[in-house]
Formats: sequence, C-alpha cells, structure tokens
Amino acid sequence: MIQPQTLLNVADNSGARKLMCIRIIGTGNPRYAHIGDVIVAVIKEAVPNMPLERSEVIRAVIVRTCKELKRNNGIIIRYDDNAAVVIDQEGNPKGTRVFGAIPRELRQFNFTKIVSLAPEVL
Amino acid sequence: MRALAAAPAAPCFLRRHAQLKKRPSKSFLLMKYRSFPPIAVLSLSRPDHNPSEDTDEMFDELFNKYGKVVYSRGDRKSASAEAEDDYESLSFAVALAKTANEVKAGDIRVLFVKPLVYWTRFFIIVTAFSRPQIDAIGSRIRETAEKQFKKVPSGDTRPKSWTLLDFGDVVVHIFLPQQRAFYNLEEFYGNATPIELPFDSESPFRN
Repeated sequence: MIQPQTLLNVADNSGARKLMCIRIIGTGNPRYAHIGDVIVAVIKEAVPNMPLERSEVIRAVIVRTCKELKRNNGIIIRYDDNAAVVIDQEGNPKGTRVFGAIPRELRQFNFTKIVSLAPEVL
Repeated sequence: MRALAAAPAAPCFLRRHAQLKKRPSKSFLLMKYRSFPPIAVLSLSRPDHNPSEDTDEMFDELFNKYGKVVYSRGDRKSASAEAEDDYESLSFAVALAKTANEVKAGDIRVLFVKPLVYWTRFFIIVTAFSRPQIDAIGSRIRETAEKQFKKVPSGDTRPKSWTLLDFGDVVVHIFLPQQRAFYNLEEFYGNATPIELPFDSESPFRN
C-alpha cells in the first residue's frame, strides 16, 4: 500500500537510493499503489556521480511491498521493504540490473524487462 | 546435508485412526473406500512402512540412491514430455530467429535459459539499427508466430529502443546497438547455452 509521501527503496543500479511517492498513475484516482503499479516519485537520496540526482522527478514501478500479495493458489508473499525500479517514459528500466527477489506477477503486468534483469523471481 | 523424504501423509492418517479405534465406524470405512481408492492401494503396497521408524540411516540410503532431493512434486511433467516441450519451443525459437535474419537483424543470439530461470525457456536477442527496423522485425516476428504457430505475444506493441515480445516459452529482445551494449543481457545470462543457428547471423555488409 504505497500512497503519496511514502518512502521507497530503489531495487536497481540506476543511482537513486530513496524515492518518495508523489502520485499514483492509474484511472479512478487510486488511493494506494500495489505491486506492478507505476508511480511518480521524487528522488530523496542519490548515489554521487550518477546520472540521476536528488530532487529529480521520475517514474517507477513498485516491485516489493510490505503489504501482502495474495495469489489464487493461497500463497501470500510479504517483503521486508517497499521497493521500486526506476523507469523512463518508454517503460525501459533506467538501471541495468535489478536487485533482490521480485514477484512473477510483474510479467503479467507487462514488465517482463524488469523480470529478465532480476536475479530471482518468486 | 540431509535428504528430504516424502512421508505419505494420508496412509499414516488411516493407520493412526485404526490404532486408536479398534473398530472403525461405518462412515469412516465408506469414506476410506469411496473417496480415496488410490490411497488404500498405496497403504497396501507399503504395509511395512512406519514413519516413526524413519531413521538417519534410511535418509542416508535414500540420499545415496536418489541424490540431493528425494521428494518431487506430483504435478511435475515426465522427462520425455519436458524434452518434447523443449523441442517444440526450440523449433519455434529457431523459426523466429530465421524471420529476424530475413529482415536483416544483426548479431542474432538464441540462448537456452531454462536451467537458469524457471519462467521461460529461450531468449532471442537481436540488434536492429533503427526504429523503423525494430518495427519491421517486430511485426514480421508477430506475423510468423501468428500464422505458423498460432501464438500471440504480450509485451511491447509499439517500437521502443528495447522492444520485448513475450511468447511465454520464448522471449524476443530487440535492441538498438547502444541499448544492447548498455543492458548487456548476454553477460547477465552468460551461463546459458547458446544455440547453433542454421544460418550465418553476422550480416556481412554491416560490418
């Protein structure tokens, strides 16, 4: 459950470290974002000497949430952190590698690029 | 290292019931014979098995016999069915690679990534030299898949600098040269087995 003002970790090597959600993209003015949703975020903390800088506004896909993700077969997945992957306007990831475990639902949401860069898919 | 052993849960349950209650109730017997006939067969086929007697030695024996993991999921396909599916996807992947070669895509690689990731079998990585060419390669691949194999991809519909077509068992990546060097998917999937292609994938007039 990500809403505006939520701080998220960054799960890729794009150069951003912390994001703050400022808007959720979707129809019907959604209150919360879940795994696979695109958000507009601002970079609160960044690695020095990288293309992305602090206070830049970017788009990101949520890949991990502390809120449980339920599957039809009864499996429930809950991560330790809220994390997102930075994408550009085209939908390509800005980093070249994704860190940590990622749920397979992202593939159904057409983020197969992120899935193919991830080391582990749950 | 300890091997995992599959303890048959249902027969154990039946046996325990029999021990507790010397004369099982009529409804229990009916349930036993009506709804689980394979379970009754299972318990008959292993009458000497008692889960409480599972010792380390038994596990060691199983470990020596079967290797790392003894337990396997029941819904797993047989090896021959897997090989057949692999072959089907391989022919599909090679057909797509051929199509890409016809549209002059450069540096075509087909990787067998099934041992590395569970979610797909083959990666096709190709380079296109301009956005119109990405569009051309994408639409030709879609056409071939739809006409010959009756498969429709998910993924990108419009040409992008990294266009991805997801056919389930086969995933096609079309890159511009710059993006291909940037994401460097071949290095990330360096342990995957490259598949020999029946044509020369290096386009001679480009190099």
